[in-house]
Amino acid sequence: MMTKRLFDLPSSLRLSRPPTVAVVCLGLFLMCCLLVPRFASFGNLENVLRVAAILCIVACGQAIVIILGGIEFSFGASAALASVVTVMVLPATGPVAGLAVGGATVIGIGMVNGWLVGRMGLPPVIVTLGTLMMASGIAAWLVGGLPLDAPPSAAFSWPARGRVLGIPVPILAALLACGVLHVLLAYGRIGRLWYHVGANPLAARLAGIDVARVTLLGYAAAGAFCAVGAIILTSRVASGQPALAPNLPFETIAACAIGGLPLSGGRGHVLQVVSGVLTVAMLNNAVVLLNLPVAWQLVLLGLAVLVAVGLQKDWTVLKRLARRAAR
Amino acid sequence: MPLSDEALVATGIAKTYGATCALRDARLVLRQGRVHALLGENGAGKSTLVKILVGAVTPDAGHVELAGVPTTFGSVTQALRSGIVPIHQHLSLFPELSVHENLSAFALAGSGGFLARKRLVDPPRARAWLDEVGLNVDLTTPLAALSLGERQLVEVARALSLDCRVLVLDEPTATLNASEADRLFTVVRRLCATGTAALFISHRFDEIEALADDVTVLRDGRTVIDAAPIGRHSREELTHAMLGAGVEAPPERRCVRTDPVLVGRGFAARRDARSDISVTVHAGEVVGLAGLIGSGALALAAWLAGAQSGAGGLSVAGQAFASGDRKRAAALGIAYVPADRHVEGLFAPLSARRNVSVSALGTLARLGWLRRSEEAERIDPLIRRLKLHPSQPDAEAATFSGGNQQKLLIGRGLALPGLKAMVLLEPTRGVDLAARGIIHDAIREAAAAGVAVLVATSDLDELMVLAHRYLVMRDHLLAAELPGDAPRAALLSALSGSLAA
Repeated sequence: MMTKRLFDLPSSLRLSRPPTVAVVCLGLFLMCCLLVPRFASFGNLENVLRVAAILCIVACGQAIVIILGGIEFSFGASAALASVVTVMVLPATGPVAGLAVGGATVIGIGMVNGWLVGRMGLPPVIVTLGTLMMASGIAAWLVGGLPLDAPPSAAFSWPARGRVLGIPVPILAALLACGVLHVLLAYGRIGRLWYHVGANPLAARLAGIDVARVTLLGYAAAGAFCAVGAIILTSRVASGQPALAPNLPFETIAACAIGGLPLSGGRGHVLQVVSGVLTVAMLNNAVVLLNLPVAWQLVLLGLAVLVAVGLQKDWTVLKRLARRAAR
Repeated sequence: MPLSDEALVATGIAKTYGATCALRDARLVLRQGRVHALLGENGAGKSTLVKILVGAVTPDAGHVELAGVPTTFGSVTQALRSGIVPIHQHLSLFPELSVHENLSAFALAGSGGFLARKRLVDPPRARAWLDEVGLNVDLTTPLAALSLGERQLVEVARALSLDCRVLVLDEPTATLNASEADRLFTVVRRLCATGTAALFISHRFDEIEALADDVTVLRDGRTVIDAAPIGRHSREELTHAMLGAGVEAPPERRCVRTDPVLVGRGFAARRDARSDISVTVHAGEVVGLAGLIGSGALALAAWLAGAQSGAGGLSVAGQAFASGDRKRAAALGIAYVPADRHVEGLFAPLSARRNVSVSALGTLARLGWLRRSEEAERIDPLIRRLKLHPSQPDAEAATFSGGNQQKLLIGRGLALPGLKAMVLLEPTRGVDLAARGIIHDAIREAAAAGVAVLVATSDLDELMVLAHRYLVMRDHLLAAELPGDAPRAALLSALSGSLAA
C-alpha cells in the first residue's frame, strides 16, 4: 500500500511515510539541547514544561472538539471572562469557591457552544466566534476596561505557584488532564462516540447515536478542560483581565494541528496533542534563549503549523511538485 | 487507406481505485451514425468507462482514438471541446435558470473571460436547437417548470451547441416515463442520421432492442462481447455474458409466515401522494422492495427503519416508534444499511472493528466504560464470518475495497443487540461478485434465524435470489405485490408499468 504513495526520488532519500510528530518533537528536543545555549538545564526545562502546562490542558479540550469535527475559538475569551468573574465574586465567596465559579463560567460557555452546534446545527466556526465576541465583550463591560486586582491569598495563588512533592501544580494538572483525556478517548463510551460523530455525523445518526447530545457533552468536556486552564491562568495573574489570553484558542489549534489531528475530525490521540504542545513550547523557549525578538515566536509557530500540516498530506502534493520540477 | 467510419475507439482501458480494479481490459468501438449499447451488471465497470470517455477520470492504461486521432482528455471541458457530450442520468442542468441560459452554458463557457458581456446565445440559434429535438417551449421558461423528460431534451439540445461527435447517454431513461423515453429515442435517432455516434447505457432490454444498432458487454472490467450487431445474441445470451458463471443459485422459496414484526401503515412517499402505503414484514421473511430510481422505494424503506420522517404509523414487534426517530428504532432492534455507503454509512477514519461495534456499544459498555477485550471477542468472529479481506479488524475502514466496506455495514446491522428487523438499501451496489455472495448469505442466515428482512434495490437479479415476496413501487405508490416465484417478466412489467414485459 505505502509503496504506491512514494514519489520518485533516489532510494536513499525515500521515506516510507511522513515522520510522526513524536519523532519530530524528539528531534527538535535533541536539536535544542545541542544548539541552544542553556536549553538543557533543569531550571529551563521546568520552565518549558510550566509554560506548556496551561497550553496542554486547554489543548486537551480543543482536541475533543477537533475530533468531533468542530473547532473552538471561544477558549481565550471564556478564560478571560472566568478571571473577571472570579475576582468579582471573590470578596463574597472566598478564593476556592471564586475560582470554581470562574471555572463553571467556562463550562457554561462550552455547553452553549455545544447546544448551538449539536442541537441547532450551526457551524462551529461561527458559533464559537460569536461566543468569543460575547464573552470578551461581557468581560470588558464587567470591569469597565481596567483589570481588577484580586486580594492576595495563599489558596488563590496555589493553582499557579503551589508545588506538590516538589512538582509545580500546573505541570501536575497537565499530566492529570492528559491522563483523563486518554481514558475518556480510549475507554469511555462517550469518547468513542466523539470519534464516530466526528468521522461521519450522518452515519452516526443512522447508526442510532444521539448526535446532538454527544456533541453537547463534547463541547462541555472541552469547556471543563479549558476551565482548569482558566483557573491556573487567573491564579497566576491574580487579577481579572478582559484580555487575558487572546491567543489561547489559536495556540491550542496550532498545537493540535502540529500534533497531526486533522480538522476533518474522527482522528486523534493524546500523544499527538502532547507532542504538538511540547513542540510549540520548545520553539517559543528557543526563541527567547537565542535572544531573537519575541515576535519571532509567532512567526515560527505559524511556520511550524504550515510545515506540520504539509507533511501530513501524504506527500502527494510534494510528489506532484517534484514531477513538475523534473520536467 | 479507406475512410473509416469509426468515431471513437478505446482499447486496453484499465483503471484501479485503491484496492478495487474497476476496469482491467476494456474495449469499445463506436461508429458514426450508429447507436451503441453498453451492457454490464452493477460493478462491471460501465460507469468508470463512461467517466473515462467523457474526461472525468484518467485511465491507468489503454488508449483512446477519436476519429482516428489518438486523444487523452485531461478534463471534462477538453472532452466537450472534442465533441464528446454526456447526457447524464442525474440531470446536469441548472433548474433555477431559464431554458435559454441553460442552452447557452456550453457555447459560452470560457469564451468571454471574467467580464463576459454576452451571457446568452442568439435566440434564433437556441430556437433551432430546440426545434431539432422537437421541444416547443418558450426560451424564457424557467427550467424547473419543465418535466424531467423535457429537461433531458434540453440537455440534448444543448449538446447541439457543440460540434457533437459522440453523444453519451448514461441511463437517460431511468427517470422518464414511456412516452418521454420514446420522444428521446426519436431525437437520438435523428441525430445519428446526421453522422453522430451515440453510446447508450441502459438496463432495459426492450429499450436497447428498440434503439441500439450494436452492443458491447462488460463483465468484471473486461469487454466480453465486442460491438456485436444487436440481433446476433439473444437476451439470454447477453444476460449470461453479463453475469458470467458467478450466478447464484436461487434461494429456497419456502418461508413459513409467522408473526408480523416490522409494520408500517399509511406512508405517503410524496406530500401530494395518497398516504395509503402499508408494509408488513414477518419474522424470518425476506421482502424484496423493487423500484426504479425516483419511484420512492428507497424513501419507503428508509421510513420503515426510522431513518426518514413522514406521515404514517410504525411499529416493530408490537412497539410503536415515531418516524425519523432512528435512535429509538435502533434501540427496538431495527438495523439499517443505508444506500450510499460513503455518505451515510462508513466511518472512514475508524477501524473496521469500530465500524461494526458502533451498533453494540450499549451492551459493550458498563457504566459508560468500554471493555475493549470484550469488544474484540464479540465483534471479530462476526468480521471473520463475513470474510473481511484483508482480515484486519484494526485497519482503517477507508483502506478496504467497496465490497469489504459494505460487509462492515452488514456486520454493524448483525451486531445490533436484540436484532428483530433489518432494512437494507441497495446492499450490494458497486460490490464485486464474491462479496455479493457473502452478503447475500449473511442476509439469508439472518432471516433463517427469525429476523424480518426488507431489501430495497433497483437490482432485479439481487431481488430474485433473495426475496420470498416482492413489493413493487412505481410513481410513489405501491404498484404490485408478487409472490417469490413470480417470473422476471412479471416484475419488469410491474416496475415499468407496461403491460408487456
